[in-house]
This record gives sequence, structure tokens and C-alpha cells, in this order.
Amino acid sequence: MSGIELIFTPIAVSAFLALFFRGDNALSKYVALAIFTYMLNFSIALFAQLPSEGYLQLGTFLNVEKFNFALTLQVDMLSSIMLTLTSILLILVALSSWSMKKQSLYFSLLIMFSGAIFGVFMSTNFLWFFIFWELTLVPMYFLVGIWGAERRVYAAVKFFLYTHVASMFILLAFFLIYKESGVFDMTLVKEGMLLSPVLIWWLLFIGFAVKMPIFPFHTWLPDAHVQAPAPVSVLLAGVLLKMGAYAMIRMVIIMLPETSQKYAWVILTLGLITMFYSAFMAIYETHLKKMVAYSSISHMGLVVVAISTLSYSGLSAALYEMIGHAFIIAPLFLIAGFFHSKTGSWQMEDMGGIMQKAPYVSAIFVLAGLGALGLPGTMGFVGELSILISSIKSFGLWMVIVALGSMLGAGYIIWTLRRVVYGEMSEVVKSTKFSMNTIEFIALAVFALFIILFGLFPNLLFEYINPAFSQFNLLGGAL
Amino acid sequence: MITAFYILFAFGLFSIVLHRTFLLKPFALLGLGLSFVYTLSGASENVKLFELIVEIVLFAVVLHESDEISITQTLFIGAASILLLESKSLLSFVIAFESLSLISVILVSQIKTKDQAEGAVKMFIASALATGILFLGLSFYVMGGGVLLEPLKAENSMFETIGVFIMLIALFYKLTIVPFHGWAADTYAKVSHSHAALLSGVAKTVVVIASFNIFAPFLAENLDFANPLIITVALITMTLGNFLALFRENLAQMLSYSSIAHAGYMILAFVAVQSEYAKDGILYMSIAYIFMQSAAFLVLDILRKSYKIRNLKELSGFSKQSPLLAALFSIQLLSLAGIPLLAGFLGKAVLFYAVVDAGLWWVVLIALLNSALSVAYYAWVIKSIYFDALDTQKVYFANIRSSVMAQIILVAGTLYFGIFAGLVFGT
Repeated sequence: MSGIELIFTPIAVSAFLALFFRGDNALSKYVALAIFTYMLNFSIALFAQLPSEGYLQLGTFLNVEKFNFALTLQVDMLSSIMLTLTSILLILVALSSWSMKKQSLYFSLLIMFSGAIFGVFMSTNFLWFFIFWELTLVPMYFLVGIWGAERRVYAAVKFFLYTHVASMFILLAFFLIYKESGVFDMTLVKEGMLLSPVLIWWLLFIGFAVKMPIFPFHTWLPDAHVQAPAPVSVLLAGVLLKMGAYAMIRMVIIMLPETSQKYAWVILTLGLITMFYSAFMAIYETHLKKMVAYSSISHMGLVVVAISTLSYSGLSAALYEMIGHAFIIAPLFLIAGFFHSKTGSWQMEDMGGIMQKAPYVSAIFVLAGLGALGLPGTMGFVGELSILISSIKSFGLWMVIVALGSMLGAGYIIWTLRRVVYGEMSEVVKSTKFSMNTIEFIALAVFALFIILFGLFPNLLFEYINPAFSQFNLLGGAL
Repeated sequence: MITAFYILFAFGLFSIVLHRTFLLKPFALLGLGLSFVYTLSGASENVKLFELIVEIVLFAVVLHESDEISITQTLFIGAASILLLESKSLLSFVIAFESLSLISVILVSQIKTKDQAEGAVKMFIASALATGILFLGLSFYVMGGGVLLEPLKAENSMFETIGVFIMLIALFYKLTIVPFHGWAADTYAKVSHSHAALLSGVAKTVVVIASFNIFAPFLAENLDFANPLIITVALITMTLGNFLALFRENLAQMLSYSSIAHAGYMILAFVAVQSEYAKDGILYMSIAYIFMQSAAFLVLDILRKSYKIRNLKELSGFSKQSPLLAALFSIQLLSLAGIPLLAGFLGKAVLFYAVVDAGLWWVVLIALLNSALSVAYYAWVIKSIYFDALDTQKVYFANIRSSVMAQIILVAGTLYFGIFAGLVFGT
């Protein structure tokens, strides 16, 4: 078990399926599910093998000595957690797109995405990391462009271009690191080796900030989120944004701690702006899915604030919030997509009173909404509380304004629930029959289960999250 | 030593006899196969890999080609390419360079339409000019005391240095560097697409590799003077090429301008000569480019001949009509755009790293942003192919089985060099 088969087998299989099976052929659906299950199995098995210090070596392939260009696969607790989260999300996404049109191509693109994303989280060679990082764009481009809503082409091209331009900064930073340190592996680079850490820091920060996304680099996300089909929005929010956060933690905070400390105020300020700006946008929005998208960005702002503390507790809180955000935002997107597919409208005023028509689905929507606003007993509460505490510890008492963000969250979520789920039943809802595919409902129920389970017993996660950062030398970010 | 050259030359001459028989294509393929075997055992180490790849690409071109004269010409182009790559002294370089130009001109002068005539005339004038400039530089060089039968170096006098710079201008003509790019956009877009594949895919990369091998030692000694000049033209070339390629309705024009932009990336290797990676970079970039550019133009040829498609608009929904060809075309376009796991990405990455290694990170930043910009028009073609609806089923005109086989050979190259870098770095 070396892990490389989890990267290249899916890519090869997806090419095979895309070329030889067409239309609604269900084979690729089952292949996808099998591969994702195997991935989950693999990622969970990793936890037992992880050493207490350093990395678990999975192997080195395709070595080109002159360029230090080798596919080095190694994982630590951080990447194992990301791998597990990703494979759980992939399975649930596959289940919730069970009745997608043009299945064959759709699922083969999902399979290709899964291979690339595993490459991102497992490879520590800069160039290979970058290869997989960029490769994730290709299936996403097609997924948004083919299955998206009315303005899908615009959204897909904008997403592709915007994030590709940002990646160019990352590639340049990698080149500079290699030139200055002679090391092409992210686990071996120490800040002291670099001659121009500030330049490299800014290049990396901008590159990853676009992916996360951090204000003012977030403009691609609302478009992509809104136009993508609901399961793909889940992948975007749950996996692609997490990829940005993972890279930000691993290559900005951990690899360049001193410069990060110097610019902690930049990260903090942008994080706070991201959080408040998108919260206000979410309040203003009457488009249901855009509201969810802005709430997603707002939560990523919270993650950025947690990252900017540069402390063990802050990063642990950030990682917990990342997982929580994935599980909370996924059902919101899926159910928003479900409501749209039934009512034919995105506007909240066309909905209302759906609770009476579809009580179970609406209940999960309410639960996920309450998770997003941070109700005690859900993952949202634990995440926001731990971020609040760690940021107050690092930056002082004025960080209670983070709590204000949660209050704004309460504002837009409760108002949305009032307009969509409760309230007067609108004409459209009266004449609509809300029925959901059982398999898709099971996926939603699993998300709901996770939100409550890890909300009530956060230690189940912190047991793994806390050791993730203990091996690194962090400085802690005082302003 | 250059048995492969003799083989290709002899096969080219003899193939004329076989015109109008079914034997021509197998015969030409046999010639390329034989030369491949001989290159494997008897080529100079530093260009061996590239010669082999040129032969593979020409194999694919011949496989694709249905025009008899073009098949013969392709063999001659192969012979001249090998001669050019093997040349070590300045004189042999000049002779090989001129024969390649001459054959290219003859290749495009198979005129069937007015458009092709325009392209051919422009190419002819540009080639004649380039020749004149090259000989001007050569005479300066000799006047300054340079020796023709030795590798290029300038240590005797000023005139030698001036002569070399004038010769560089002639090469920039061939490599379609701004401001000498005017002819290329029209020629590539207007001559037959399979000829454009040979010109912009094969001939361009061969010239770039050969001139890098000849000129690198000279440039390494004249960095202060040469670098600002070459950096300026390279950046202008890639930026202009990319901006002109945006919003092109005609696919061939888009590919021609993107070819100009790629020439801009390639000559960045000339400013990074002091880096040990410059040679690997230009080699990798050329390998990637020869596969993807030839393949892209050959697809255009199939599209024009079999489906009568010339413009972007007519391509909408093409994936529903011919999924395999659409996928092959998209892979090559993504490679041209520099998307990873394809050769185009690693080619650019190694080349740009060489420039970073030479200390010019800001040049690379501009080049990378250019490369990102180029995604706009490639992604737009892919958008047409996959996202748009198919309006009318296109009529299917010709049998394209051997062309698809050629495409598969080329896509194999693009994929192989996108993952396995070992061959290029010599390990």
C-alpha cells in the first residue's frame, strides 16, 4: 500500500470510463463509489501507522535527480485528516448525485478529481504538489461547465482562469524556494535557507488566498458556487477551499513561521474583512444559493482568523472549523439545490412553508442552518467558540468581535429559515411535490448525523486534530 | 555518423518513383523507421533524444498525410532537420539551416487556393530576407576573423560580435519573434494545415534547438549586452502573440498566434544560458511543443478535410459528434495551455525554472501570467467543443482512421512527457 495507486488509478480509470461508456451508463457510478470507499479505507488505515514525529513515508517515484523532481508521497496527521475528510465527502457527493444526468461522464470526472486531490494531500514535492493542485481544475471546469445552471460557461471559465492565474504566483514561489534552498520538498525547507522569504511569502499567500478564498480575491467563488450543480458546490466548498486552507497552513504558516508572524496582522485583517463582508452580503442576498455561498466564504474568513493566530490552539481550531464547515455547508448546498430543482426558482420569496411539504429535508436544512450560526450542540458552536478563545488568547480581548460575526450569521440564517422553510406557503410551493431520492436523502442524513455527533463530542475529532500540529515549531502570533 | 540523414534523403529521392502507387506511404514510414533505428545507435548524444522525437512526429505526420508530394517533402524535412541538429560548425549550421528553409518554401508552394498563395509568398519573402540577413551576419563574422569550420565563438574582434547578432536576427525571423513575426501568422494560418504542422511544430523546434546549441556559448559570454535585448523581444513576443490569439474566430489563426507566443517562451532559454537547466529547459519545451503543436494542426487538418470546420463557431458541440477526436484535440490544447500531467506543463516549468535559476524571476512572473492568459483562448475552444450544443450534425467526408492513429501517437508523446521527465534529463 503505497498510495500512488490512489492517484494514478483513478485518473486512468476515469479516462477509460469517459472514452468507452456514454450517456447514462451506470457503471462509472459504482466504480466511483468503490474507488471512494477504498480511499476512505486507505485514509483511515493511515492513522494507525502514523509515527508520533515526522512523516509516514509512502514512497518515492519517478525520480529525476538533476531537478530533484520526484513524486514523494508522505503523510502526517494533518494530511491524513484531510484525506479522510475528502474521501467521506466524495462518497457522500457521489451518493447525492445518484440520479445525475449524463452519469457516465459526470462520475468519471469525479473519479479523476479524486485522484488529483489525493495527489495534492499526499505529495510533498513542490512540483508534483503543483501538478495535482492544477489538475483538480480540469474536472472542476468540466463539472461546472457541463452540469451547471444558466450562466455555467461564464462561471466555469472565470473559475478556471482566476484560480489558474493565482497558481502562477505559487509556481514562481516554488521556483524561488528551490533556487534559494536547493530543496524541492516542502517538508525539508526551513525558513533560514531562504534569501528572500518576504517575496516568497507574498507570492504564496496571494496564490493560496485566491483558493481559500480571502477578500478581495473571492469574486470567483460566488459565481462558481451558484452556477455549479449542488453536489459540485459541495466539492468546491468542502474540498477545493480546504485545499487552499491546507496549503496555507502547511506552506505559509508552518514553512515560513517568522515571516508569517511579521505579517500576521495582514492575515488577521483580511480574515476579519472576509468574514464581515460576506456575512453582510449574505444578509443582503435573496438568492438562496448565493446566500449559502456567502455564508461559506464567511466561515472561511473565520478559518483565516484562526490561522492568523499562528498558535497550536488556533490552528487546531482552524482545522476543526474546516471539517465543521464542510459538513455544515454541504447539506445547505444540497438542499438549496433540491429546493431549486423542485420550485424552479432561486429566490427566497418564491419559497416559504416548505417545512409542511417536505418535513424531513427541511429539518436537516434547519439543523445545518443552526450549525452555521453556531448553535451549541452542533459542530458550528465548537468551531466558533474555539476560534474565539484562541484568537482572544493571541490578540487580546478585542477579538470578541469575532462573536459579532456569529451574530450576523444568526441574522441571515434565521431570516432565511423564516423565508424559506417556515412562514406562509407560497403559490409555487403549494403546487409542487417535494419527493427526494432515498439515496440522496441518506447522504443528507449522514451529514446531519456528523454535525450533531462531532458537535456533542468534539473530542472525537480533537483527539486527532491536536497532535497534528504538535510536531511543528510555531511562534504564536502577537501583533 | 549521420546515417539517418542519408537514409531519409535517399528514401525521399526514391519515393518520387512510387508516387501514384499505394506503396508510397508504407515506404516513407519504413524510411522513418529505419532512420529511427540508426539514430538510436549513431547520433550525437546531446541531440539524440530530440532527433528520435522528430522522427516519431514525422512518422505521425506521414501517417496522417494523404497528399503524395507532401509525404516526399516530409522525408526531406526530416533529413534537413537531422543535418541541422547534428551540425557543429558554423558552416554546416548555415548550410543545413538554408536547406531546411528551402524545403519549407517548396513545401508550402503547393498552391491550390488564393489563400495558400498568399501564405506561400509571405513565407518565401520572409525566408529570402532571413537568408540575406544571415549571410550579412556571416560576412561580418568572417571579416572579423571568425572561422567558418569551427564552432561559433567571438573573441577576435568587434565585427565578429556584430556579425553574430545579425545572424541572431535572421534566426529570429525563422522563429517568428516580434518584430519579425508578421509573415508567420498568415503563413501558418493560410497554407495547408498539415504543412503548418510541419512548419510551426517541427521546423521551429528544430531551429530553436540547433541554434541554442550553436549560440549558447557565445551568449553566455555576452550576457550584459544580449540579455536586455532578448528579454525585451521575448516578453513582447509572448504578450503580443497571446493578445492577438484572443478573440480569433478562425482556429488556424488562433494556433498561429499561439505559436508566436510559444516562440517567445522558447527564446527565454537564450537569456538563461548560464543556468545548467537552460539546456534541459529548451529541450523539454521543444519536445512538448513538437508533439502538441503538430497534433493540434493535424487535428485542424482533419476538421477541415472531413468535417469542413474552420471556425470556432462551427466547432460547437463537437464532442457529441466525434468524442474521441474531441478528447484528443482537447488534451493537446490543454497541453498548449500548460495544464499539468501533460508535456506542455513540464516543458514550461523546466524552462521557466532555468530562467529563475539565472536570477530573472520577474521575467518568469510575466511569462507565467502570459501562460495563464493563454488559458483563456484554449479553454474557450474546449468550451465550444464540450459545453455548447450541437446545432447540426456535420457531414462526414473522408476516412480518418490513419489520421486518428497519428493523433494517438502524438497524444502518447504528450502524456508520456507530462509524467516521466527522466528521459529528458538523461537519467
